[in-house]
Amino acid sequence: MNNEVLLEIKGLRAGVEGKEILKGVDLTVRRGEVHAVMGPNGAGKSTLGAVLAGRPSFTVTAGSVTYAGRDLLALSPEERSWAGIFLSFQYPVEIPGVSITNFMKAAVNARRKAAGLPELSPAEYLKLLKEKMALVQMKGEFARREVNVGFSGGEKKRNEIFQMAMLEPTLSILDETDSGLDVDALRIVAEGVNRLRTPDTAALVITHYQRLLDYIVPDVVHVLKEGRIVLTGGRELVDRIENEGYESIHG
Amino acid sequence: MDSEVYIIGRDAVPQFLRLDAGEARSMTLVVPPGTSARLGLEIDLCGPGASLDLAGVYLCNDAERVDLRVLVRHSSGGCTSRQLFKGIVGGTARAAFDGLIYVAQDAQKTQAYQENHTLLLSGTAFAESRPQLEIYADDVQCSHGATTGYLNPDELFYLRSRGIPEAEARRLQMAAFLAPVLSRLPESLTEEIYAGLP
Repeated sequence: MNNEVLLEIKGLRAGVEGKEILKGVDLTVRRGEVHAVMGPNGAGKSTLGAVLAGRPSFTVTAGSVTYAGRDLLALSPEERSWAGIFLSFQYPVEIPGVSITNFMKAAVNARRKAAGLPELSPAEYLKLLKEKMALVQMKGEFARREVNVGFSGGEKKRNEIFQMAMLEPTLSILDETDSGLDVDALRIVAEGVNRLRTPDTAALVITHYQRLLDYIVPDVVHVLKEGRIVLTGGRELVDRIENEGYESIHG
Repeated sequence: MDSEVYIIGRDAVPQFLRLDAGEARSMTLVVPPGTSARLGLEIDLCGPGASLDLAGVYLCNDAERVDLRVLVRHSSGGCTSRQLFKGIVGGTARAAFDGLIYVAQDAQKTQAYQENHTLLLSGTAFAESRPQLEIYADDVQCSHGATTGYLNPDELFYLRSRGIPEAEARRLQMAAFLAPVLSRLPESLTEEIYAGLP
């Protein structure tokens, strides 16, 4: 298992409402690796995350994405989740009227059903919930709150990582998880992500700034500009971007 | 206070009610799926301190015709009325809500609120909302609000991205939309309504 290719993106072109945003992206992620995708605003970073998670408003016009040997683009968003893909949203959605407990119960059990497993008993579910809440330092009343309603920016991002912990994904995509976080929340989020790392799983960390990458150390760094990956390197690229900005980096 | 529940098509629904001084009444009307109905209800708050808490839910996802007309009349001052009506309309169903709050000239210190929210599930469904205020007193607090919309696609994608199948995610969204009214019903009826969501 270890070190085999988990995600292979080839010549991916995609856009929204007829406007092409990704203009031929190639990217290979192996199990056990953390990749950072960095780039200026408007480079297509969030589009990449959205396309991998199957957001219906985005259209893929060319290229392929193979995930664990399967054609990812042929799968619905829920099938991608069952297959182990998780997107931490840049802007988590508020769902008034739905509690976190009920939301996650539906998600966990749908996934178990897809895997041919029985639903968790209420006691088993509660145990799982408490364990994962502890990981992101969420208190008891958190589970009863409506999903993201009235949450601060930091709480929303911690909620994303909590959901990630509940679903134990194989490929985690973190879309600008550091935006709007203070240092304490950033540390909690990063620790959560790091504790979920295993030799079989991988992460794609999408970010504009180097900040989060001080805590979640990437193995590979890609620079995305104008819809293409213009440079790929090791973690030393992070420092170069920090010092020189994106302007100096060309394909 | 438990709410009196009236299921349209099963229970006899009063057409005219008067609330005397200090009387409080909570009522919930339910129009279950598959029910076409024309319903007129007039409630007169005619003694000081009377209070009305009225809610309703209508579920029409096929070809139903639902027509609700509610008149809440504040004849006496110092009374409170609250109304919350929520509907889910799909298929080729048509639903209309016509709600009039009437505040008589002497009915000072009236508090009257009305909300009507409709969720459309299809492009062929039709919903109409006519909230009206007729106020002749000058020292009152009255408000009404009406919205009509579709299921939020961003919510739907968020739920699906966590592995909740599309149909179940839509039902979860509908249940959340209805929750403020359904929470007033006995559990068995709430479950029946959840099970009947398209």
